[in-house]
Amino acid sequence: MTIILILGALFALLLAGVPVAFALGGMGLGMLLAGGFSPLMAPQAILSTLDGFILLAVPLFLLMSNVLLKGGVGRDLFAAVQAWVGHWPGGLAVATILSCGIFAAISGSSVATAATIGTVAIPEMLNRGYEKRFVYGLLAAGGTLGILIPPSIPMIVYGFVTEESVIALFLAGIGPGLALLTLFVLFSMAHAAMRGMGRAEVASWAERRQASIRALPSLALAVIVIGVIYTGAATPTEAAAIGFAAALLITGVILRTLSWQGLREAAIESMATTVAILLIVAGAKVFGKAIALYRLPQEISAFIGEMIDTPLAFVAVVAIVLLIMGLVFEALSMVLIMTPVLLPAAVGLGLDPIWFGIFMVIMVECALITPPVGLNLYVIQAVARATMGEVARGVVPFLLLMFVTVALLYALPDLALYIPFKL
Amino acid sequence: MPLFALFVTLLAWAAAALFVAAGAMLTYEVGARYFFTAPTIWAAELSQLCLIWGSLVAMAWCLRERRHIRITAITGLLPRGPRLIAEAAAMLTVAVFSVVVVWKGFEIFWDSFERGRTTGSMLDLPIWITELAIPFGFAVLLAQALVEALRAARGEVPEDGAQGEGGMGE
Repeated sequence: MTIILILGALFALLLAGVPVAFALGGMGLGMLLAGGFSPLMAPQAILSTLDGFILLAVPLFLLMSNVLLKGGVGRDLFAAVQAWVGHWPGGLAVATILSCGIFAAISGSSVATAATIGTVAIPEMLNRGYEKRFVYGLLAAGGTLGILIPPSIPMIVYGFVTEESVIALFLAGIGPGLALLTLFVLFSMAHAAMRGMGRAEVASWAERRQASIRALPSLALAVIVIGVIYTGAATPTEAAAIGFAAALLITGVILRTLSWQGLREAAIESMATTVAILLIVAGAKVFGKAIALYRLPQEISAFIGEMIDTPLAFVAVVAIVLLIMGLVFEALSMVLIMTPVLLPAAVGLGLDPIWFGIFMVIMVECALITPPVGLNLYVIQAVARATMGEVARGVVPFLLLMFVTVALLYALPDLALYIPFKL
Repeated sequence: MPLFALFVTLLAWAAAALFVAAGAMLTYEVGARYFFTAPTIWAAELSQLCLIWGSLVAMAWCLRERRHIRITAITGLLPRGPRLIAEAAAMLTVAVFSVVVVWKGFEIFWDSFERGRTTGSMLDLPIWITELAIPFGFAVLLAQALVEALRAARGEVPEDGAQGEGGMGE
């Protein structure tokens, strides 16, 4: 009963338009006061959140991808990939998806991925006669690869709140990320074949070489960031710092495409996003402390244990709940509200916490592209000057492919767990 | 620009600069460790301090520029009158939360300041340097929340901020 009242009050605050960070923090603080616990815990929880070294990776990864975005790296990357695969059936679409996948490996954000590649790929695909709806859906969905292929800001946040290894989460995202990427590529090729899309001419070796050289620094950056984390040469936070420095070097010195104006915009943009994200994490920490003192996660876990006794049923119910929440809720808040509530039950049913994190990230991706609230839809809408309806209809097949990936992940947990634990 | 608005804008730029500085320090740290085998004792601690101060002092700017993440699916559907009421109520909720955090956060800061507690790390900085960020940041946020509530009461409906190209990090 208490839990229904608490979640009801929280949702009321959120839907009334209180910023998520302060709705969570305020609700937690109210619960502390009502339960006779010390309100000192609220500022302490905020401070201890911001004192987390792993969260320092958030502004640094954002700085890296924003600098690359302002430096116009998307154009070079897209041109290079296109030179190699442009003549395949649906070549332009395949190039778009692969570019999203590569940019995902240098960016922890799906919105940045959709914006970077979308700006270049959308006009190009429309010019070549691709169907509008397909193009918008492809870009909105392709962008979500940004948070499944490491680095990934939602994974950093999940790792922080659950005290699981962010490195293991990053590595666990690679398998499902590649699986989803493959499904998108196959669908694009099938779509183009069915529509009888003409193929582009094969690029000459000279063109390929020239395009690849320009894209090489960004590709190298992706390899370095993942490599440094994988080999343990530096922590994810340090890897993010190196990535930021390298991004400045690439766009400011090597390619000379980053202006002072661009750098200032990247800095202020990254700051705003960081503050918005980290305060939600801090608010969720206050809320998490309060519900733990009320022993709510244990109660929910026991309740779920009585109602649901197989992992499959649990995963299915959670997926449906997250999909419904995702209609209204913004993605990161969803992870932060639901993880502390659900993880004890998930672990109780024998699910691996890292696996559960990857599952949550894919469900969050679905939330990012389901209307009415889906950040990637807004981005594509803005970049392409399209209507919400066009974009939303376009994502439907891609949404189904994400469900297929979730099913694959359930059937083959090693899709996620092999690289971090068995390789 | 009124003085308070200018102050809030300056704090936002300071925060952006602090995050960039954190990146520079950690890059230097990795370089120093690998190339000169001389890890620093300050990079990790000072960059963390940048994160704490940066995040807290820029809260007010984010509130003003509508950059905090909020759910507008429902309030966006409301007609003008109820929407203004929801806006004012939301801002007052932020203000009430801020009052308690400023008050309790100040207690934590003052206690450490009076007792001269230090971080106990290699740099051994006074711990209040970190803790002061909470009452300071939330005091500025409190003032901004009251300004926003007043604007709503006067009938100004602010547009939701551009969730720029860098987006929300998801």
